[in-house]
Amino acid sequence: MTSSTDLASAPLGTSLTLVGIDDAANRRRLATLGLREGATFRLLTRTIGGGRIVLVGGSRIALSRDLVHRLRTRVA
Amino acid sequence: MSDSTRVRLPLTPAKTPLPSAKACCHEIPQHTAGVDAAVVALVGAPNTGKSTLFNGLTGSRVTMGNWPGTTVEVSKGVWRTTLQSPSCNCETCTCANDESPLAITLLDLPGAYSLDAHSPDEQLTRGLLQDGPVSERPDLCIVTIDASRMAHGLYLVAQVRELAMRVVVAVTMSDIAAQREMSVDTALLSRALGCPVVETDPRRRTGLVPLAAAVRTALADPVPAPRPVPPTDDALVLDDDRFTWLSEAAERATVAPGNDRLTLSDKVDRWVTAPIAGPVIFLAVMWAVFQITTAVAAPLQNALDGFFSGPVSHAVTALLTLAHLNGTWVEGLLVNGLVAGVGMLLTFVPLMALMFLLLALLEDSGYLARAAVVTDRLMRTMGLPGRAFLPLVVGFGCNVPAISATRILPDARQRLLTVLLVPFTSCSARLTVFVMLGTVFFGTNAGTAVFAMYVASVALVVLVGLLLRRTLWRTMGAEPLIIDLPAYHLPTLRLTASVVWQRLRGFLRTASGIIVVTVCAVWLLQSVPTTGGQSFGQVPVEDSVYGVVARTIAPVFAPAGFDQWQTASALIVGFVAKEAVISSWAQTYATEQPAPGQTGLLGDHIQAAFVQSSGGHPLPAVLAFMVFLLAYTPCVATLAAQRREVGLKWTLFGVAMQLTTAWLLAVAVFQIGRLFW
Repeated sequence: MTSSTDLASAPLGTSLTLVGIDDAANRRRLATLGLREGATFRLLTRTIGGGRIVLVGGSRIALSRDLVHRLRTRVA
Repeated sequence: MSDSTRVRLPLTPAKTPLPSAKACCHEIPQHTAGVDAAVVALVGAPNTGKSTLFNGLTGSRVTMGNWPGTTVEVSKGVWRTTLQSPSCNCETCTCANDESPLAITLLDLPGAYSLDAHSPDEQLTRGLLQDGPVSERPDLCIVTIDASRMAHGLYLVAQVRELAMRVVVAVTMSDIAAQREMSVDTALLSRALGCPVVETDPRRRTGLVPLAAAVRTALADPVPAPRPVPPTDDALVLDDDRFTWLSEAAERATVAPGNDRLTLSDKVDRWVTAPIAGPVIFLAVMWAVFQITTAVAAPLQNALDGFFSGPVSHAVTALLTLAHLNGTWVEGLLVNGLVAGVGMLLTFVPLMALMFLLLALLEDSGYLARAAVVTDRLMRTMGLPGRAFLPLVVGFGCNVPAISATRILPDARQRLLTVLLVPFTSCSARLTVFVMLGTVFFGTNAGTAVFAMYVASVALVVLVGLLLRRTLWRTMGAEPLIIDLPAYHLPTLRLTASVVWQRLRGFLRTASGIIVVTVCAVWLLQSVPTTGGQSFGQVPVEDSVYGVVARTIAPVFAPAGFDQWQTASALIVGFVAKEAVISSWAQTYATEQPAPGQTGLLGDHIQAAFVQSSGGHPLPAVLAFMVFLLAYTPCVATLAAQRREVGLKWTLFGVAMQLTTAWLLAVAVFQIGRLFW
């Protein structure tokens, strides 16, 4: 099993599995958008300011830099 | 004919009594289907076609846009349906009894991903559906879900199904789903969710018949049992249960092979949100918006202004001459009061229409959500989201449309903060005064003086923003950006036109009274003599009530070095419109208004006055005056727009805050400046 890495360090264009969210305040908000632990998503692009856009369940979600560092992922 | 209205919501819903779906806006009875009529609420995630569906069912107009959180106010309308027609928009109902006409009060609630109250909009939806007493809740909930992003909307369905409430699910955006080779089996989904599921396309008005039939049937049936949930208060356990339930439902009822396929939108996003290209594209779009709201609108505004001050005024004067009323106060009231006031209001129409058109295009195309990503970090320092950049940029052209542009902010408190900051952006009307004073007092350095005003304007926005953020808005959380990017699409003419017209109508309705009444009030004060031997409407300004008011106010500006009554008078008129400041000076000094780029005799008068009032320090005094002009209330039209967006109380707060800031800064500039100059 591969070890987890935060989303900021994950390679662009890969399919990832979300293994942990180190942000209790936004856990449910992310979950309602389909980003919950165990969900598989695709890392699309890096945005200005160090954020990321991910594709999950057909939706494109933009996440800011601070949040990107709090999402632990591994390559699916 | 069906009709609808917007219900303005409290800015802090949590501190107010629980909202009631049945009692709200009873003061406007024509917008309800009657006290006994069923109340149906439309809920769903932003961008799922909810407002378009509301529009189609009620036949009325509401704000729609391809932007998360566009529906920031509750819209309410009457949905008339018969067995034959899903929505009947007759002037008065002529349906036969065998068609079983049914009038329903339809509510369009703000976009919400869940009932968890992450935003004020979600708080309101939760308040109406869950927190209020059962008798005050809607009789039925239509939940709209996007077929191309099925899992997205089902969380809300799961939560609504846990309430004792009739639920009908409307599946929208099937065309986009089909393009991505995705499909939904509504019968299977209905069985999995335990409520009727209907496929509908509000943009093309298809699927409304089965939706109306499903709602009629559900309303006739008793309230179904809520979805059983584990007997626990643990939010994580409840969430797990919901996600298991909705994942099973989605898996069973959808075919989605192309769900994760890259689209053209993704390729465009790679550019428009990129570290270097993103800001360049954003600045180009903002530049275009700024140009269109200034350069393109200006000739139209001038033409309208010329039309009212020329042919219309002349025609009114000619008519009054026929009635032997020329030269009387009636002519003054009609020409300088009513015609001038209505003319001023109408000069804003092309500007506002262009602004609303641009906003609608940016929203509906999907670009605005990307612009928010680009500017997020910069604006976050003031506690504002990235999208607040747009109204602030527009404010440098004109504050009035900029105030209306704050509607793109989904959070009510962020909207309020932005509405209070916009007047500190230096609009083009203030520029004319800056240029004139710069030329008179600074000669070849006029450009530097004017540029300094723009720097001061940006500094004021940032500093006041930070100050408010650390005082009144301390509790406003700095939440990280999580934004659902809608797919790009070409805006449709019908939707864009309807949004522009609806917003323009709203502006005219609210602003007309304030602008016309204020212009008439200034005329009235200038017409009432205070000395004997002069008649009403035939009095020099200095002998009118207005002149007395200006003389009374003038000493307030002594610490700032500009306490001449003529300057105070120009500031009072400037409260109505900054365009009137120079003409007010020309009037009170009884000289001709100088041609653009020249200072003339008027410049000499103003220079002499500043030298006298500042005790020999005219440069710091005029700089103080320019800073005051920059920071105090821009014009009554801005106040009218503010009142429409945030209500009277906050508008008055803004006026007080700006006057205080302006006076303190002007005094500081003069007192410090005269030590060196």
